Amino acid sequence: MNRISKSLAAALLAATTLGAAPALAETVLRLDEVPVGELDPGKATDYADSILMFNIYDTLVIPAQGGPGYVPHLAESYEADGNDFVFKLRQDVKFQSGNPLTAEDVVFSFERIKALGQGLSFLFKNVDGAEKVDDTTVRFKLSQPYSPFVASLVRLPIVDKKLVMENLGEGDGEMKDWGQAFLSANGAGTGAYKVVSHNPQEETVMAKNADYFLGVADAAPDTVRFRYGLEAATVRTLIAQGEHDISSQWLPPEVLKSLAADGAQMLKETGGGAFYIKMNTTKPPLDDVNCRLALASAYDYASGLKMVAVTDDVAQGSPATGGVPVGMYGAKPASAAMNRDLEAAKQHLAACKYKPEDFNLEISWIGEVPIEERFALLMQANFTELGIKSEIRKLPWALFTEQVTKPENTPNISQIFANAVTGDPDTLLYPMYHSSAAGTWQSPEYLKDEAVDAALEKGRAETSDEGRQAAYTALNDRLMEIAPSIYAYDRQSIFAASNRVKVPALSDPAKAFGLDGFGFTFRLMEMTGE
Amino acid sequence: MPPVVRLLAKRLGTSLIVLVGVSMLIFTIARVIPGDPARIALGPNATAEQVEALRERLHLDEALPIQYGYFLRDLSRGDLGISLYTNRPVTADIAQFLPATLELIVVAGLMMILIGLPLGVIAARYRGSWADHAVRIFTLLGVSAPSFVWAVILMLIFAFYLPLFPIAGRIADSYAIASVTGFLTIDTLIAGNLAAFGNAAWHIVLPAFALSLSGIGQAARLTRSNMVETYDKPFIEMARSYGFPERRIARRFAFRPSLIPSLTIIGLDFAAMLGNAFLVEAVFAWPGLSRYGVAVILRKDLNAIVGTVLIISAMFLLVNIIVDLLIAFINPRIRYSQRAS
Repeated sequence: MNRISKSLAAALLAATTLGAAPALAETVLRLDEVPVGELDPGKATDYADSILMFNIYDTLVIPAQGGPGYVPHLAESYEADGNDFVFKLRQDVKFQSGNPLTAEDVVFSFERIKALGQGLSFLFKNVDGAEKVDDTTVRFKLSQPYSPFVASLVRLPIVDKKLVMENLGEGDGEMKDWGQAFLSANGAGTGAYKVVSHNPQEETVMAKNADYFLGVADAAPDTVRFRYGLEAATVRTLIAQGEHDISSQWLPPEVLKSLAADGAQMLKETGGGAFYIKMNTTKPPLDDVNCRLALASAYDYASGLKMVAVTDDVAQGSPATGGVPVGMYGAKPASAAMNRDLEAAKQHLAACKYKPEDFNLEISWIGEVPIEERFALLMQANFTELGIKSEIRKLPWALFTEQVTKPENTPNISQIFANAVTGDPDTLLYPMYHSSAAGTWQSPEYLKDEAVDAALEKGRAETSDEGRQAAYTALNDRLMEIAPSIYAYDRQSIFAASNRVKVPALSDPAKAFGLDGFGFTFRLMEMTGE
Repeated sequence: MPPVVRLLAKRLGTSLIVLVGVSMLIFTIARVIPGDPARIALGPNATAEQVEALRERLHLDEALPIQYGYFLRDLSRGDLGISLYTNRPVTADIAQFLPATLELIVVAGLMMILIGLPLGVIAARYRGSWADHAVRIFTLLGVSAPSFVWAVILMLIFAFYLPLFPIAGRIADSYAIASVTGFLTIDTLIAGNLAAFGNAAWHIVLPAFALSLSGIGQAARLTRSNMVETYDKPFIEMARSYGFPERRIARRFAFRPSLIPSLTIIGLDFAAMLGNAFLVEAVFAWPGLSRYGVAVILRKDLNAIVGTVLIISAMFLLVNIIVDLLIAFINPRIRYSQRAS
């Protein structure tokens, strides 16, 4: 071997040796999501943003564990005072910067989210303002009775006013950019995890906040690496090689299946939303309720569920029982699953003023969601049994959201996945079925029904659990009568996970939260060291 | 004016015109494809008022020429706007993601040169032998499958079944290297951390090889066919008759004239990799500009689309200029033609 070859071999050997990562003393949790996580809590909307927000920031209330409702968190207590809500803050909470939490921070956080007008700020449309009563008391003034307000507070993360004011970026007026540039790259919360670094295309690294006001268990991960945009094949390989801990919910069923076969855990999150097949009630033939009922009866619910099955026991959906997902106010029990009834479908069709030979249904599916094509094909096959002709059309999401702004452009049938962003049924059902909300991606039915409107408004105005239960039960019954949608299945998000981590909130129904993404509260996870 | 300087000036002038054309084209295309960028950016839960406010802020409610005017004004200040995908200035995103892609394609380019050219020389020199056949099969495989297929295959073989290489990323999680140049292999050396350098270098091997396989195949096949043709020329016969050793004939008389087309192809491949690397970057979770470019196109992030395309176009033109200069350097006839003109 000549000298060059020897040197090359030596260098390669050195690189191999040096390439081995040193042993880690700390526990590291690695998980991923498809889109980039938005760090600014005032702009948080999707799943990745929510996971970041729930760990870096805290809110006045959080969803109750293992049951419905909300419990005080940064608040010590709260009470309704007419249309207003008054919150008493805990006095033992400090921001990650060391600044104490005060009522001013709460008022600032509210004003900031309203001023930015992004993310989920629309949840606070009915709130006229927030004011500091004293250092530990805040009053929210509502313009009208709005019982989902307390639930909305899970989307009002409290930011460190002092820190943000010290880091205002360029902008007009006294508040300049409201700290947007700073908060897009840094944390300013009280949460159990601090931001170590944030690369929007690669990952956000977070570390345990030792001074968290509730304490963080030793078993909780020391460091969390939240990765973005990993390919399904990459995640599958990483988990199999022990280099990744929890997948996103967007893995294809076949990848989840192969990971389950390799011994990976299947974590579940239920109750937050459903898969709806929406029917345009303004265009023939679906402006006739009998035609809609015929389609709803002809749809094969069981086959639909099989298409999202991961294993014999686990599926990305559970049987729907109506317009309200199981577990929410007004939902029917899980035993009352929707079923196909072809005879009933034929009877409804006979009562419809349109004859099958006179129309051709347009069934759309969203191009970015390939599973919807399978559902479109299933519907086409099901409806053919009634003699109904249909054509399938692929629509990119961007085009779909534009088309649904006009009823005449909206397809006869659209498919959407919807969830309650606060866990309250109001945030799921009002944007879909209230007549004032028609013409968005959530409401391509263009439903105008007085009984539905009345039930939705009652659901907002009622303050007691019993009153709200009654309002949403009436709503659900009415939605079954007029069938603006086919309630295909209640959504169940499945995450593949290694056995190095235990996530009680996503594996034990008694410890689950009724809010999407809250199960990813890292402080409640346990690293097993396997 | 020296001929090379004249060539450079001519190429720079043409490139500037091309860049202006590209900016107008991409600016228009990005705005006429279906989908409202404001709606996409704000997400499905945004209200109509929120969407309208963002449209106004982005000047989307104004005529296209006026929007282009705003773009040119901001561009003259080095401002490409804010990305709706990352919520950061597009220039900051490009500055962060471009070095990762450049590092990847520089290594892939080196592989094309250091593997592709020698393979072509070997195949030509030992034409018809088992070595020639082996090279031709290997290069045929390289050019016949797209790089992302190789990415998945290489990952499965060398990272999953034979865990010799890392699966994803640029460096192991345990290293925290301050970014100076953005090129991790350089930054680790600046930090004086040899272990981190080894780790970063080990991470780049598989993605760079997957990306370069097609280029290696092209370079090898082109070099082989050109050299085979050159071997039949009378001056090779004359060199042999003078008694020059075969190795010298191959290197000096057959390879050098065959290098020009190979160099042109390598240059084009190198520049094209900037845009084509996205699937390899996606498979290996490589946080580069190509992956960013695809993500922003899918989200119709106007500022970022225009910024990314402009940078990729500029890099393409730059690489072409460098290749032209190299060819002029290698081939005196091109230099003389510049002088004559």
